[in-house]
Amino acid sequence: MLKNYFKIAIAVLKRRKFFTFISLFVISFTLAVLMVLTALIDKIFSDDYPDKKRDRCLYITNLQEKGLKTGFTSSSPLSFYFLNKYAASLKTPVKVAISSTYSPTNTYVNNKKIVINYKYTNEAYWEVMDYEFLEGKPYSPEQVKRGERVTVISEDTKKKYFGDIPSAVGKYIEADNVQYRVSGVVKNVPITTYTLYSDIYLPYTVSKSDVNEKSYHGPYTAVLLAGSKVDLPKIREEYEQVIRRVPMNSDEYDVMYSHADSYIKGYLRTGDEEESGLRIAVTGLTVFVLLFMLLPTLNLVNINITRIMERSSEIGVRKAFGASSRALVYQFLVENIILTTIGGLIGVILSYAALRLINDARLIPNLDLSLNFMVLFYGLLACVCFGLLSGVYPAWRMSRLHVVSALKA
Amino acid sequence: MVRHLFILIWNKRKQHFLLMFEMLVSFMVIFGVFSLMVYYYQNYRKPMNFDYDRVWVINYNNALKTNNSDSLSLFYENVRKTLRSMPQIKGVSYASANLPFTETTNSTGLTYKNNRLNRINNFIIDDEYAAVLNVRMLDGRWFNKTDAVSTNRPVVIDAALKEAFFGKEDAIGKFIGSHDNKTKMKVIGVVGNLKSRGDYTSIGPSVFARVDTGAFHWLGNILVKVTPDADAAFESHLYKSMANAMKNANVEIEHLVDKRRSKNNFFLIPLIVITIVAGFLIVNVALGLFGVLWYNINTRRGEIGLRRAVGASRSSVSLQLVGEALVLTTLSLITGTFFAIQFPLLNVGNVEAGVYLTALVLAILFIYLLVLICSLYPGRQAAAIYPAVALHED
Repeated sequence: MLKNYFKIAIAVLKRRKFFTFISLFVISFTLAVLMVLTALIDKIFSDDYPDKKRDRCLYITNLQEKGLKTGFTSSSPLSFYFLNKYAASLKTPVKVAISSTYSPTNTYVNNKKIVINYKYTNEAYWEVMDYEFLEGKPYSPEQVKRGERVTVISEDTKKKYFGDIPSAVGKYIEADNVQYRVSGVVKNVPITTYTLYSDIYLPYTVSKSDVNEKSYHGPYTAVLLAGSKVDLPKIREEYEQVIRRVPMNSDEYDVMYSHADSYIKGYLRTGDEEESGLRIAVTGLTVFVLLFMLLPTLNLVNINITRIMERSSEIGVRKAFGASSRALVYQFLVENIILTTIGGLIGVILSYAALRLINDARLIPNLDLSLNFMVLFYGLLACVCFGLLSGVYPAWRMSRLHVVSALKA
Repeated sequence: MVRHLFILIWNKRKQHFLLMFEMLVSFMVIFGVFSLMVYYYQNYRKPMNFDYDRVWVINYNNALKTNNSDSLSLFYENVRKTLRSMPQIKGVSYASANLPFTETTNSTGLTYKNNRLNRINNFIIDDEYAAVLNVRMLDGRWFNKTDAVSTNRPVVIDAALKEAFFGKEDAIGKFIGSHDNKTKMKVIGVVGNLKSRGDYTSIGPSVFARVDTGAFHWLGNILVKVTPDADAAFESHLYKSMANAMKNANVEIEHLVDKRRSKNNFFLIPLIVITIVAGFLIVNVALGLFGVLWYNINTRRGEIGLRRAVGASRSSVSLQLVGEALVLTTLSLITGTFFAIQFPLLNVGNVEAGVYLTALVLAILFIYLLVLICSLYPGRQAAAIYPAVALHED
């Protein structure tokens, strides 16, 4: 039976080439856009470089203080002092990585300016993260303790600063008017992973500002590594309890919020306790996708109705010989899904080309978008949804056609 | 004639519902894209009111740890002297972090005669700011040394704030209150609206106040105007001397020209992406419309043949079909306009009503044009039908 439907579908597609072209164009283009979007989101949220143990990690990215009476709020990342005292002392996490958010500085090579983003880290950072070292190794805990001027640099920085040399390890790089000895070179991290991105990584002990200053706000964030997944809720709870006991730093404020979040939640935190970044992102995205799909769907429905009405004599004959409405609807849906699948395949090719184009244009450096199985799966899902969505209404209308009027046309 | 067309459409309203809905949605999409374009274009045409070429930004952080404001002032005066001593530097101004072409905002509330405004951009700058950026003065004067001792803190406001508080009146010499109306500030000058967030957006009312000694505790930016011969070698030299003068600070030098480019891209790239996507959507819709109209006309061969047989000319047949399509469009555009007009009425996004209205008119014209193009060919095809052939088929 299915084989028959398939044959009919192909015959119909061949008959009205113009309509087939429109349908395929609409479907493939819409799917390509959706797939590029999925690839981007997938890359931002599920790329596991450099934090491969993401499913065992919790992220502390923000501290908000609020004065209920004064109306003042202050929200930013945290100070090293605060994280070291309250987060690093938690009992359940195995390791706590503390690092500053990246910040730019200049360096000049042969009278050419290079902008370098630097990031201070503690020694545990290299154990919690799984950076891929192309050469050398991270700085050791002893080097951090002694405040040695050593650094881990990214592949891009090596190329920009040293040019094409076989190895940069042991060489000196000048940043912020200070000479640092290169201890290792790591694979680039795209800037979209903004909490972990940097061009050079430095021990926090060489930071020019005083890391033990007793303020709560600063440029630092932390990653808590749990021994196993089951410990995550326990760590979350433990951190909440610690925060509840932290004394307020100034009398302007009387409440304090800071959370140990999953990667996505921490990534999207707005810094305001009342506004959930996750909710805003999900709502925004859903509204966009629905609106974006509305127009092509309407268009397809219109075209499908036209197509079906054109075949009313065929439908009339089938009905006259006793085909049930259900069989007709079923047939038409199958035809439609075949059409969308063909469109989907073209869409995959289109999106592959679009992704290549985006990668080559380097809109976001080091962000290599790719079609992976997840993206393909979502694309396929969207295909089927699209086929059903744009096929159901025309099929329903067709099945209600009266035999006589259908035959007459 | 038009009434007749309306009746024809009305009789088939169920059949046409989806087509009209599709036009309505396309109209809303086009309206959105045009609103954005008109808004950008309108801002693009406004003058910048300051110069950004050959202005560099020096960013630093906590260079000196002390609670003593006097020693802080002394320290930063020395930094200023170091900068001034370089022949390539023409002007130096300390400024709060809301520099031109940055993300940072710093806002405050102000009152004038029971009229309280919130979210006014608050710039803390010094006497040379206007010279460094060549800010266009409209009225009054910029700050100078004598302002340090005045009893009421002097402020300079921009044209937008003057309009909001004083309207057509003269603003110079008037007093405005702080957000709680406890302290009074004297207006000494009015500047043009600075487009300090790039070419494509305006920033709204702004107030400028002079750096006081306490401000050095948190300031972190210096603007310098350099001569045309300041090159990368000089920049490297400048960088070294800044890093030496502020031993404990992290220093970074940026150029306003580059910052403007990236700020503009921040607005332009989304617009380009949206336009491309909307463009493809419209091509989709156009093809779809074309197909549907063409099919509709094909199913009406008998009717058209009859009209031609009783003497209707080719052009009147084709006019009728195009007219029908346009009436359909009109119906959906009326609904669309009802939704679109809510944007200026509800003052969405605090954008001038003119932007939305221009976009509305453009969108209406665009959709009419689109439908006209899509229906012309099917209409002409219909006109080419021979009455004898069409009637014979029936």
